[in-house]
Amino acid sequence: MTPDTPHNDLRPGFLALSTALTGFSEHELLGTGQTMIYLQTVCDMARSDCIADMLDAFCACAIGDDKAALDRHLRLCILSHPRHGPLARNLVKLWYTGTWHCLPRDWHESYGGNPADHDHIPSPTSYTEGLLWPAIGANPPGAKPFGYGMWANPPRVFRA
Amino acid sequence: MSLFQITDLAGLHHHLEAAMQLEHATIPPYLTALYSIRPGSNTEAFDIIRAVAVEEMLHLTLVANLLNAVGGTPDLTTAGFVATYPAMLPDGEEDFAVDCQKFSPEAIETFLRIERPADLNHRQQGGKTVTRQKVAGAVTAGHTGAATEEHFFSIGEFYKAIEDGLDRLYADIGDALFSGDPARQIGPEYYYSGGGGLIEVTDMASAKAALDLIAEQGEGVTDTIFDEDGEIAHYYRFQQLVLGRYYQQGDARDAPTGGPVPVDWSAVYPIKTNARLDDFPMGSDLRNAAESFNRTYATFLDRLTRAFRGAPEQFIPAVGDMFHIKELFYRIMRQPIGDASDLHGAPTFEIDRSTEKTA
Repeated sequence: MTPDTPHNDLRPGFLALSTALTGFSEHELLGTGQTMIYLQTVCDMARSDCIADMLDAFCACAIGDDKAALDRHLRLCILSHPRHGPLARNLVKLWYTGTWHCLPRDWHESYGGNPADHDHIPSPTSYTEGLLWPAIGANPPGAKPFGYGMWANPPRVFRA
Repeated sequence: MSLFQITDLAGLHHHLEAAMQLEHATIPPYLTALYSIRPGSNTEAFDIIRAVAVEEMLHLTLVANLLNAVGGTPDLTTAGFVATYPAMLPDGEEDFAVDCQKFSPEAIETFLRIERPADLNHRQQGGKTVTRQKVAGAVTAGHTGAATEEHFFSIGEFYKAIEDGLDRLYADIGDALFSGDPARQIGPEYYYSGGGGLIEVTDMASAKAALDLIAEQGEGVTDTIFDEDGEIAHYYRFQQLVLGRYYQQGDARDAPTGGPVPVDWSAVYPIKTNARLDDFPMGSDLRNAAESFNRTYATFLDRLTRAFRGAPEQFIPAVGDMFHIKELFYRIMRQPIGDASDLHGAPTFEIDRSTEKTA
């Protein structure tokens, strides 16, 4: 995935919403190397105009550093919204587990997503870069840390 | 670094210390180009650069074995051990500087210069000696002398001078030359996943075998592309990326006839060449990550130094450190610097700054 993919203009909004939804910083999300892969995935499975609308809805409200206001905005305008909500929840699962789950049938019938939408793992590194591992302070079994005998050491987990 | 013909044991130690510095100086540029490749792309190029980088690590360890064998003391923690890039190589080729830069035609061009065969000088320049002048930015060693300086066109010539020095000293003092503690030798069990193998140096025969292996893997022997084990020399490995084809047995130099080597120069993180800490805003996550990288690398070099001084079991956690360093590379290279350039960060290898207090 190169930076000049068709969805590059959505990248800043996608990162901002992903930061709000996951609780991880932009630095941490970029560090996984998954940002453009995941943006491509949601655009492929749900149509890029749905994503653009959701990002517009999120960015429409200038909240600054007010965490309570951000929380309220996310719940009211994104998670409770009939079209944005399922997408946003899928995005949370995607970042944490590295797996894209097929959107609900109702959602596809109402909003016309990709008929080929299906459960899948977007890249070979999605599992190892899942946010659930740093969130629980553990390493992805079988994938990190590399090196003979390193499994015997306490996890060395990165948080910015 | 100043080097003078080897006439005594101190001179031999000095050359071997320079050789360790030289082997290490190639590793940050190789790793920077390697990890700038976006995962999943350029798999052929990734394999080629990775294989060479791993063999440079082998060479570093072989030189440490040599230095230990002749009673020296390896030290990767001396101030100035890690080059400041762009850097001139410590053995004195002053017609090019080495950058830490992304995977690119320019990077491979530099790698070819690093690994160039000694006889390329004669083929391309009619055997003209490269003259040496004091160059700003040259890597400086921890120990220097004062007499007529040596200068080498290639790494192979540099190692030839070491071999000649070894011969002279051996003629003088015989087996007493190998006075080092054999317990400090790093054995073959600590090296894997790369060509060649570790050789414990305890006498003249094993010393020569270690030097031969370094020379063979680097530039090839005389005009061969493959060595007797069928392993291709570094120079020709890199050349495959420029020429777009693999070499196969029987090929003439500069004319590989094997399968294609596809290269996508665009599938690369757009990192800043020779990035420095000061390129990253103080207090930013990127700056903190780059500082953390330097501290991790300093700790790693300290661990290697202990491994070379009688604690070879330290190599096991050191390999874990290497994989951790790889993760840090990726984390940093995926971050835009945030200025107008659209460039990304990169590890700075300013190891001597790793003890600075962060603001």
